[in-house]
Amino acid sequence: MPRTLLDIFPNPLIAVGIGITAVMTVLSVNTLFCIWFERKVSAWIQLRMGPMEVGFHGTMQTVADMVKLLGKQLVTPKGIDKPLYHLAPIVVFAPVVAAASLMPFSESVAITNTNIGLVLVFMFGGFASIGIFMGGWGSNNKYALLGAMRSVAQNISYEIPLILSSLSVVLLVGAMGREFAVDGGVIQANGMNLAHITGVQAQRGVWFLLLQPLAFIIFFIAVLAETNRAPFDIPEAESELIAGFHTEYSGMRFGLFFFAEFSNMFIGAMVATILFLGGWDGPVLPGPAWFFLKTYFLVFCMMWIRWTYPRLRFDQLMTFAWGILVPLSILNLLITAFLVKVF
Amino acid sequence: MPTTLALELIDYLPITILVMMAATFAIANLVLTMIIGPSRTGRTKESTYESGMNPIGTARKRFNVRFYIIAMTFLLFDVEIVFLYPWAATFTNTSTGSENASIYLARVLFFMATTVIAYIYGYRKGVFKFD
Repeated sequence: MPRTLLDIFPNPLIAVGIGITAVMTVLSVNTLFCIWFERKVSAWIQLRMGPMEVGFHGTMQTVADMVKLLGKQLVTPKGIDKPLYHLAPIVVFAPVVAAASLMPFSESVAITNTNIGLVLVFMFGGFASIGIFMGGWGSNNKYALLGAMRSVAQNISYEIPLILSSLSVVLLVGAMGREFAVDGGVIQANGMNLAHITGVQAQRGVWFLLLQPLAFIIFFIAVLAETNRAPFDIPEAESELIAGFHTEYSGMRFGLFFFAEFSNMFIGAMVATILFLGGWDGPVLPGPAWFFLKTYFLVFCMMWIRWTYPRLRFDQLMTFAWGILVPLSILNLLITAFLVKVF
Repeated sequence: MPTTLALELIDYLPITILVMMAATFAIANLVLTMIIGPSRTGRTKESTYESGMNPIGTARKRFNVRFYIIAMTFLLFDVEIVFLYPWAATFTNTSTGSENASIYLARVLFFMATTVIAYIYGYRKGVFKFD
């Protein structure tokens, strides 16, 4: 079991200080890297070069963009709902950091380790739709409101298959982790504990991707929709809605939304890695290396999908969620429950 | 593993502080750009973006009732999921093949059957048709 920062540093202030520094560093570097990587991937797929001017192969391009964004004016439009408009970027941004701190990225150290990690991750993920709607409603802009409503409808629709497909993994963890070895003792693994989920996969030597392929596909599609990525990027379909919910946000406020979006993508990939790809489990390389390799492979897949498939229509999107994904995930959960009980 | 409530709660203290520090970081960022960046105003600069035209009326109007239906259906399923969480976490604690496990599974099946019936009803009523 990973030791948490609170175990290592008895003083909670020092532990949290180190934790927030680590999480913010990883998230910032990830955002800077992902923006550059997204531009490069899109360029490769479209047989272009992508950013090449700033730094080696344009690696410093996003740093330059960030600095530029810091120096831009925060334009505040007329007729806004002041508390909602000003709070929205913070409400979107803050839970993302907390969700990232829950991830058990290595077998020896974690920032926090709670018994309900999986619930907490989905809870912090749910904050995004609240923040998005606050921003869209507060902006007094028709495009923003339309984008926000679409976004909330999409997020809550895809949250159901997302959680149902992860519950089948929870069942499996409980069944396969009856004799789960922890710190010399043997306990019953807790399916809600993210470290236990990875630990069971590592100890049994099988990734849940092999046992739950359907759940993985449903989960991955739902993550794409939850993070408003193409082909589910209707909330910010630029050809019809300008920029969606963040049309009226400029400068660093927009930067915070962007930061949260890329971090959400990263967190979605991390959760998928933990649930289905065995987290830190892997030969030769150390645990964290495997963890981030798998995560970035999934992030790459998300970008690959974005630049390959066209955008869905809104009715297709909702029908896909309610008509296909929800029944499939319920069925998958029931079958898993039966199999778990029989074997 | 912590056993008492007091020990469990201290697990969540870092997360709480992290959320607050992240919010502080975001606010500090915004304050910084307010200091660095320009602050020009004007009638056109303050107006909302509406494809270059002057904005007509307010944006907050009535919207399609379908969004309400989606939200209500979501609530139905969300409540179901809230009850499925503890079930999924504790179901496998009952030993395999025992009578307890069968009863436990049957109860959840009954519970899910009600949701499925509601889902089929909604489906036939055209709740999930969007056109």
